[in-house]
Amino acid sequence: MDRNTNLRILIPVIVLLFTIISVLILTGLASENPDGFEWSLFEWAGIAEPEGGFGGIFSFLGEGPLVDVVTGGIGIVAILVIAYLFFKFTSLRTE
Amino acid sequence: MLGFAIRNVNKRFDDRLTPYMGVLAAVIFAAQFVNFPVPPSSGHLVGTTLLAVLLGPWAAMVIMALVLFVQALYGDGGLLAFGLNFFNMGILGAIFGWGIAMVIFKGLARFQDEKISVLVATSISAFITTVATAFVLGLELLAIPGLSFDFVYIITGIHGLIAVGEAILTFVILLYFVKASPKMISFLKGSDTGKALRRSKKLEIEPTLEEGI
Repeated sequence: MDRNTNLRILIPVIVLLFTIISVLILTGLASENPDGFEWSLFEWAGIAEPEGGFGGIFSFLGEGPLVDVVTGGIGIVAILVIAYLFFKFTSLRTE
Repeated sequence: MLGFAIRNVNKRFDDRLTPYMGVLAAVIFAAQFVNFPVPPSSGHLVGTTLLAVLLGPWAAMVIMALVLFVQALYGDGGLLAFGLNFFNMGILGAIFGWGIAMVIFKGLARFQDEKISVLVATSISAFITTVATAFVLGLELLAIPGLSFDFVYIITGIHGLIAVGEAILTFVILLYFVKASPKMISFLKGSDTGKALRRSKKLEIEPTLEEGI
């Protein structure tokens, strides 16, 4: 598959995914409740959250919908590039 | 296990499928980024069953490892919990998800259209796999001193509801692939990923992807 075909597949996906998560987060449709694996469940079971945990590489940006949109967008591009390059360099070569 | 999965992927998948691998990793990451409400909790798509049905269990494990690694860098799950998360969502999720979906698909495909069968089988499998992996996680967490068995019931119960969301989202995303690119679904006859999964190490690669899919 040539470079143009790759771009024709990858760019619309990035744009579409970014648009979807932006709309969901900025319009408040994404839930703010703690998810099933988060620490609230452990606190319910009487286990306190340990101090000094790793907050993530973007923790210095703080919290908020706009930060989520920006970091989410960066994440989508990052994982797409990482997965693409990983499989590109390790998969079988074709003519 | 991850090394074994990578070796299996490397000798079966050719580089024409790599854009799809990237796209699917991005789709799963984005889907995991947005939570849907399950009061008083919330959930998000895990997507391992979806990946396993699309690309097979080995590629699903590798993509989940990459997604979970980026999630860990974001502080979601954490770097120290990466191994446990990969075991539950990557390994167990892929093996359970693929296996259960395959059994249901083979049963349904005898008297039902293949495309409908794969949609139904994958959605049911996504539900069962989510509940099963939550139960296994509950059992693993019993290693924490002082944690009662009630915790296993609670985490499994919450994930019974989250699994409904997982099944619905899996159905919707897979429906897109069934309509737009059925050659990507390994369970379907004549699919590119299905051919890749059946390809032996020494077999020569046949051109399978149509230009411009």
